Amino acid sequence: MSRDVQKEVHDLVTSNPVVLYMKGTPQFPQCGFSATAAEILKRCGVDFVAVNILLDDEIRLAIKEYANWPTIPQLYIKGEFVGGCDIMREMYQEGELQKLLEGVGA
Amino acid sequence: MMLPETVENLIRQGLACSHLEVAGDGQHFEALVVSAEFAGMSRVQRHQRVNQTVRAQLDSGELHALSLKTHTPEEWSARG
Repeated sequence: MSRDVQKEVHDLVTSNPVVLYMKGTPQFPQCGFSATAAEILKRCGVDFVAVNILLDDEIRLAIKEYANWPTIPQLYIKGEFVGGCDIMREMYQEGELQKLLEGVGA
Repeated sequence: MMLPETVENLIRQGLACSHLEVAGDGQHFEALVVSAEFAGMSRVQRHQRVNQTVRAQLDSGELHALSLKTHTPEEWSARG
């Protein structure tokens, strides 16, 4: 049986309120953009599922297609693709991200 | 390796911009893009629209990262 990676991504982002696909882990990020994205979520004080895409090349390729978004990190809230590092930073600075995360299973 | 001018040309060819600034070190780039096309689009849609113009370079890894700030001409002039 071949793996249905699109379904794996869909299942993960819809069954967890906040999911961050990143390079490395929140403790040991392997890319500056992923480090910033994880740091922003920590500052928002929200629990999130972090997926290290460097450990799974099929997932790395699948999420680019899933969100029609060519780069990592990628943030999903309640199954919706929110954006990458720039968008997260902009939304955090304007207080929009905090608002979006309010009451999300933290 | 890419030159900022190359990235700038790709964006300009793919999207009508009223203002465009690109800076970068060969792999990581930052772009400020002002386009009337962004009206009514979400942030994600705007970034998707710009990324589309450099999709081949992002896919090949020639371009590692393109950091974006996107505005409509109205938003841009409101910034003063």
